[in-house]
Amino acid sequence: MAPLLEVDDLHMHFFTRDGVVKACDGVSFTLEAGRTLGVVGESGSGKSVTAMTVMRLIPEPPGKVVSGDIRFKGESILSMSEKDQRKLRGNRIAMIFQDPMTSLNPVFRIGQQIAEPLRLHKDMSRTEAWAAAVELLDRVGIPQAEERARNYPHEFSGGMRQRAMIAMALACGPDILIADEPTTALDVTIQAQILELMQEIQQRTESAIIMITHDLGVVADMADHIMVMYAGKAVEYGPADEVFYNPLHPYTWGLLESLPRHDVDDKGALCPIKGQPPSLINLPPGCAFSPRCAYAKPECDKKVPPLVEIDNGHLSACLFAGDIDFICQYENRVKRGEDSGGDV
Amino acid sequence: MIKYIARRILQMIPVFIGVTIILFVLRSPGVVGGDPIRMITGERAISETLYNQLVERYGLDEPFYVQYATYLNDLVHGDLGQSYNKSRPVAEILWDKFPNTLRLALAAILIEMVFGIIAGIISAVKRYSFWDVLVTFSTSVLVSLPVFWLGMLLQILFGLKFKEWGLPYLPISGMSSERFPDIVHLIMPAITLASVSTAYAARIMRSQLLEVMGQDYMRTAAAKGLSHGMVIWNHGMKNAMIPVVTYFGLDFAAMMGGTVLTETVFNWPGIGYEIFLAIGQRDWPIVMGATIIIVFIVMAMNLIVDISYAFLDPRIRYGRQVA
Repeated sequence: MAPLLEVDDLHMHFFTRDGVVKACDGVSFTLEAGRTLGVVGESGSGKSVTAMTVMRLIPEPPGKVVSGDIRFKGESILSMSEKDQRKLRGNRIAMIFQDPMTSLNPVFRIGQQIAEPLRLHKDMSRTEAWAAAVELLDRVGIPQAEERARNYPHEFSGGMRQRAMIAMALACGPDILIADEPTTALDVTIQAQILELMQEIQQRTESAIIMITHDLGVVADMADHIMVMYAGKAVEYGPADEVFYNPLHPYTWGLLESLPRHDVDDKGALCPIKGQPPSLINLPPGCAFSPRCAYAKPECDKKVPPLVEIDNGHLSACLFAGDIDFICQYENRVKRGEDSGGDV
Repeated sequence: MIKYIARRILQMIPVFIGVTIILFVLRSPGVVGGDPIRMITGERAISETLYNQLVERYGLDEPFYVQYATYLNDLVHGDLGQSYNKSRPVAEILWDKFPNTLRLALAAILIEMVFGIIAGIISAVKRYSFWDVLVTFSTSVLVSLPVFWLGMLLQILFGLKFKEWGLPYLPISGMSSERFPDIVHLIMPAITLASVSTAYAARIMRSQLLEVMGQDYMRTAAAKGLSHGMVIWNHGMKNAMIPVVTYFGLDFAAMMGGTVLTETVFNWPGIGYEIFLAIGQRDWPIVMGATIIIVFIVMAMNLIVDISYAFLDPRIRYGRQVA
């Protein structure tokens, strides 16, 4: 049987006056039912564009899928008619956005907005859809759901709004839930609640989740697989534990080192990745990360390193990922950090 | 809500006092030329006794503050005074003219809504297309045309030239005649009156819709599987219409107060034309009465627009705190 979602060498480029922006440049992954894929990277790395392309939400022009394919249960979404795509959207594949305040329509009641996809895809009557919306609100943990459904978004708190967004995405019982930085706009305490809710929902509904975030901490508990993106490309892909414990790309090392660590006593300064992500119009000729890479060698600027399998199911786009001595540099550094932490 | 409305109505009182004082100052001898008694009697020479009798009858010999107090007292009782020229109560004269102004205003606001909204939507949805350029260009031209000049051009083309060329033509003045049904008389004045406002309405509609189309909730609506048209219609229009409705409300208020230029160009017997005539004849009671009524209509319309906000936009609720 075909996997739930296959993204195959997807290139989504934007044709602007300043040049071609290669926002998503050769991304591939597969997603099985009930699994979670974490997509991690800085702002502008192409995470959201990849997700929005799967949803077919990018206006064309300026965007254009230059090559590649997206298959849902074996069927190409890209070659479907617009009408068939709409039948998937909000129904089989649903999306949760970053800022629940601006993503909810301010002039409609919460209940109406949750009921909308049900009326559209499930042919429910107004009253049926409303009742279902109230039930959904209750399921995502909104107290007094019946009354709350009549509220407008501005009468909800940030966390409740995101719960309402989740209820809206869940309405039709989608196979895939794409969450684009669902916790970024929320307080830290609320973040944990929302993540917990999503995990709980996944266990109950068996839907697959694509969790997009710039925060490795967010996907640490949830994801089965992790894809690290940089400058429109996947630079590392593998099972979550592998990526966390044996990272094979200097960019992933940088992301991990810039996380606050709670298992070390030494609360020294965080170690950020220096510099800015490159312009997606004028990418460096070789590895896009090499100008910021602390381990870069002259060879890195010569050609774009391909994403190759290094270990069982663990892929990296670093030329030296297969070089044990190279990889050990990171492990030694981490060890040193731990040792010095222990001395204090 | 009721508290809010009451407060707004109370706020009207100082505005009324201000307006009436300004009008009274303008009326006093020496500010604006012309002796009202001469206006009443016309060219005839009159004896001093008769002159003094008239001064007394209209209360012009009283001190300023007494005249003012009397006027305010009458105003509160619905009496706007007597016209100098027509020997009729001002309220009665204006009441006669008001339906004509209202008819013209309704026709113009209808044109404005239909064409303004449609042009604005097309222009926003098909941004940078031929239609957008056409709308943007023609609205720029329309807002810069003086209304009276546009009115005259229409009169020359559709009234005189079309008649000359043997084409079906339109009446150029008045609001009824034996030759044309009343509604035909309405066409040119209504288009002239609506011209500038339609252009503004189209521009506001365009910019609002463009702004709304860039909002995150429009993307959410698309992510639910709604078609592009449904996203704009269901989710965009209600948000984009809020400022447009405000504009229509205020514009309608201005039109109901009579539009001096349009009514004068087309000899339309409305409040605006009446003001124009009264100013020429120094018929102060009519000028004052009409101005006060216009002020009242504009303020009432403002209040209605503000209240209608609360229904259009749930974030606005008057009279209570929103967290």
